[in-house]
Amino acid sequence: MYFIANGFIYRKSNSIIHKLDPRVKLLISIQLFTLALLVSNLYNLAIIFAAISIFSLLGKITKRLLRTMVFATGFSALILIINYFAGYSFIYSIQIALRFIAIVCSTSLFFLVTSPDELEYVLRWFKLPRDLVFAFVTSVRFVPVILMDTLQIIDAQKSRGLELERGNPIIRIKKFIPILVPLIINEVIRSGELAEAMESRGYGISKNPTSLYSLQLINQDLIVIFITSISFISIIFFGY
Amino acid sequence: MIEFKQVSYNHPDGTNALDNINLKIKKNSITAIVGNNGAGKTTLVKHINGLLKPSKGEVMIENNSTKKSSVAELSRNVGMVFQNVNHQLFADTVKNEILFGLKNFGFDQEYIDERYELMTNLFDLGKYEGISPLKLSGGEKKKVCLASVLAWNPEILILDEPTVGQDELQKNILFEFINTLHSNNKTIIIISHDIEFLWRLQPNIITMSDGKIVEIDYSEKIFTNKELIDKVGLIPPQIIKIFNGLGIEKDIPINLEDACKRIQGLMEE
Repeated sequence: MYFIANGFIYRKSNSIIHKLDPRVKLLISIQLFTLALLVSNLYNLAIIFAAISIFSLLGKITKRLLRTMVFATGFSALILIINYFAGYSFIYSIQIALRFIAIVCSTSLFFLVTSPDELEYVLRWFKLPRDLVFAFVTSVRFVPVILMDTLQIIDAQKSRGLELERGNPIIRIKKFIPILVPLIINEVIRSGELAEAMESRGYGISKNPTSLYSLQLINQDLIVIFITSISFISIIFFGY
Repeated sequence: MIEFKQVSYNHPDGTNALDNINLKIKKNSITAIVGNNGAGKTTLVKHINGLLKPSKGEVMIENNSTKKSSVAELSRNVGMVFQNVNHQLFADTVKNEILFGLKNFGFDQEYIDERYELMTNLFDLGKYEGISPLKLSGGEKKKVCLASVLAWNPEILILDEPTVGQDELQKNILFEFINTLHSNNKTIIIISHDIEFLWRLQPNIITMSDGKIVEIDYSEKIFTNKELIDKVGLIPPQIIKIFNGLGIEKDIPINLEDACKRIQGLMEE
């Protein structure tokens, strides 16, 4: 679980991609996501995977992105099997499966290089309601915390003889009850405490709270926007 | 006997949590592990019931390597009570919470009933039998967690920060309880920052820092070693501070009554 979750959690780094304006990172992610949805041949899919690889190398996140791929491969194998048995050709089934991996990787790429703070600035830049932005960003920020809670709960229940790996699928699902119940209760308690702590520090008093940071595009952002947009438009109009 | 042979452990992200640990914990002893946050205390004890397996070296429980056994197999003899009670409690009633481990280990109904009765009497939990453990106070929840682990009668008991969030009354109950277990030949390992509690208990102390064992010795030797105390980020017990202030460095009394008598004697002199 730790292995997979690390494929979605942000870690601070000094890479070129990390330093980009978060709006540019979102744009890249959306472009890759859109292409993954639209392209219909293996050649174009190869271009998408090449682009994802370049960004992950520049962002120094290759190892963790590979973990995302491992996670996505399990589901994509299922997609491949279902499509194949539904009567589609094997090549088409592979395309669909690879598209799924590309979609997951393009989303993961954004979250791996964008801090929750940056995510907040982007969402605010879109003029989304503050409460909505706060709720979304907090949920992203708490992913590692919830992960740690889950691991500790699993350890605690394993120490009392719970064997998650044994039994048929139904028994195994039932065995997750001792994990899920404390996890949900803990998170409900934590969210209540967080709400109280936020309110006692003045959250919600001002409709337009002061922002200490404003987003500004610099030259390298503009260059990246230019290159990626040209590539995106080229593939859309000439690629597939 | 619990034995760590040149044990090192790296977290999945590559950080070194334990560095070449060599350690022997005798049967029927009380041992406390102290050290600053991130010293590797919890990582160390998680090796005893197999939740973590060493990256290098070996952990032996009664001459059997933990590498060869599952967590469930090891837990049969190694009970562990975690710091956060809310990470353990899930059942709809206190009774089902206590029975959880007993059922997992597949004991027969007669033994389950016998152990359940013993636990409810020992911890005075009979009155909460049909109540959700989540509705209990912090102290009562801790009792349920202890009862749910002791229910299957493990030979080794690990307590991770047992005094956190406990009032003085609960700490006294816990103190008596640990001594009772010790007199019943159990091996007890405690992770704690509660120096006052440990001073009363007088266990063998293992001090840790940066994933390494700094010193292993009796409580008095550890807590009167100012250099060591500073190194592992601890504060000596109040009694030691008082007696050190009076110019006494050795044979410091353990409890308040003895300390009062000693001070009275000094005043009379």
